[in-house]
Amino acid sequence: MRGPDVTWYLAVAGTLFATGALGVLLRRSPLIVLLSIEIMLNGANLALIAFARAHGQEDGQIFALAVMAVAASEVVVGLGLIVAMARRRLDLDVDKLTALRG
Amino acid sequence: MIAATTPKVDWFALAPVLALLAASGLALLGAVLVPRRRAHGVGGVFAALGFAVAFVLSALLYVDSGEARNVVAEAIARDRFAALAQLIVCGAGLLAVGISWSERPRVEEHAGEYYALLAAAGAGMAFLVAANNLMVLFLALEWFSISLYVLSAIRADRVESLEAGLKYLIVGGFGSAALLFGSALVYGSTGELMFGRIAEATRAQGLESDPLLLAGLAMVITGLGFKASAAPFHMWTPDVYDGAPTPVTAFMSAATKTVALVLAMRVLVAAFPQLDEFWTLAIAAIACISLAWGNLAALVQRNVKRMLAYSSISHAGFMLIAIAANNELGGRALLYYLIPYSAMSLGAFAVLAARERELGRAVALDDLGGLGWERPLLGLSLWVFMLGFAGLPLTGGFWGKFLVFSAAVERGWTWLVIVGVVATAVSLYYYLSVVRALYMRSDLEVRLMPAGGSPPREGLLQAAVAACLAVTVGSFFAVQPLTDLAEAAAKQLPF
Repeated sequence: MRGPDVTWYLAVAGTLFATGALGVLLRRSPLIVLLSIEIMLNGANLALIAFARAHGQEDGQIFALAVMAVAASEVVVGLGLIVAMARRRLDLDVDKLTALRG
Repeated sequence: MIAATTPKVDWFALAPVLALLAASGLALLGAVLVPRRRAHGVGGVFAALGFAVAFVLSALLYVDSGEARNVVAEAIARDRFAALAQLIVCGAGLLAVGISWSERPRVEEHAGEYYALLAAAGAGMAFLVAANNLMVLFLALEWFSISLYVLSAIRADRVESLEAGLKYLIVGGFGSAALLFGSALVYGSTGELMFGRIAEATRAQGLESDPLLLAGLAMVITGLGFKASAAPFHMWTPDVYDGAPTPVTAFMSAATKTVALVLAMRVLVAAFPQLDEFWTLAIAAIACISLAWGNLAALVQRNVKRMLAYSSISHAGFMLIAIAANNELGGRALLYYLIPYSAMSLGAFAVLAARERELGRAVALDDLGGLGWERPLLGLSLWVFMLGFAGLPLTGGFWGKFLVFSAAVERGWTWLVIVGVVATAVSLYYYLSVVRALYMRSDLEVRLMPAGGSPPREGLLQAAVAACLAVTVGSFFAVQPLTDLAEAAAKQLPF
């Protein structure tokens, strides 16, 4: 059975990526921002897998698997930082992170 | 049973990366097995050994790679271009260990992890410059970036350090995601991940004006711009450079910039030669914005670390001119420029680290008053580094700028040279204001900073600063042999 054309997958992937990018730019909680970065990476993953199917190769799928591992490690570091900040009772709001400015 | 066919692995090509990974693992083991008060020494020695061994291995690799070729299923490029960049990274790492050594009482608690992450970041960088495939590129980029996110935040007792780590992670993650989506689009358009085959597919299928490929290329450039801290993708740089522990800043400013720019040149030249009209203009535009923004923002900074962060943005601009030139001379200019630039950057942040420890707070311009007389070696070195950043003769910065400008002239882009010269003139103002703070102030103006007793003995830090000084001045006099090395490396890229 043939599924939808690769363009549709690309459209969904692009929407996911744009959603994530907007989330990074607009949301203020670092947790949601981390989540948004994950959505961006997964949008790219979907595009990779769709293209791999369209080209009839495995390269893109292997790439997507590797990206998942990377995304997980990035989240681990991000959550670690957020926990460290919460322990110090810092405001979890990226707009209030202003110890560094100039 | 089906016998798995595995690609032949050229272990020698991977040796510098493996040496650093081994050092990282040993330092981490040391953190667990050795009593806490010894952990710092063990970690530091392993990291230093790792960088030193990797340095020697990269040198051997350089000598042995007279013929460029792709190894490990064509995922890794084994050539002098990569080996020379690895040499710079390993040298920077070795000096960074020396600079970090004096942070002893401050990182004691996480000493093992600190050095393990430093070596791991070095390994990722050494891997990145040899990447010959979009997958290796992304993985290596994240490998060293994630290490650096943690390193920036390693002083979890300081709010600034945590903030720097989180900001770096968010902005860095955004840049990586853009790079990844760009890679996916390039893959979708050409069906290839290897740099060389992307170029072949573009030519064979006539994809020169394929919107998918162009969008992908634009996003790849954006992602690399974030890593190289080029404007307008630089907003994280001042905050992260300011908030991260100063030895980490020193390593980041030298090594991250080196690998991001070297890799940008490789991927653009090797994978997108047919689209050069598009990307040379894009890179030239980014270079101009970086030069303008970096220099103008540096003018108003009072905090010296932030000023140097903006100066590093403007230097990214200079080196991007070499990439935009898209010729062999540009490759030579970039590789040569990175040598004195890394030394000056490491050295300047090392001096700041020493001053910061003396004062116990961030160093403002006024706090440099009297440093030139109190600590002659550090003062003199900072003076030379500033002149080097400004590109004055007797420092390698002079030849670096000279070569970059000649590459732009060879390309026929005199306007880019004019932008660069104007930027240099503006930069003189803030570089010389550091020299003025160091030496040329009347007694009335100088408020000597009582630091409580004689300055701490920081043998390794002073040795690292002296080494940076030697490289900065030495690269001026040894310009011929160094450009020969760079030329041999640049020749192996398909310009």
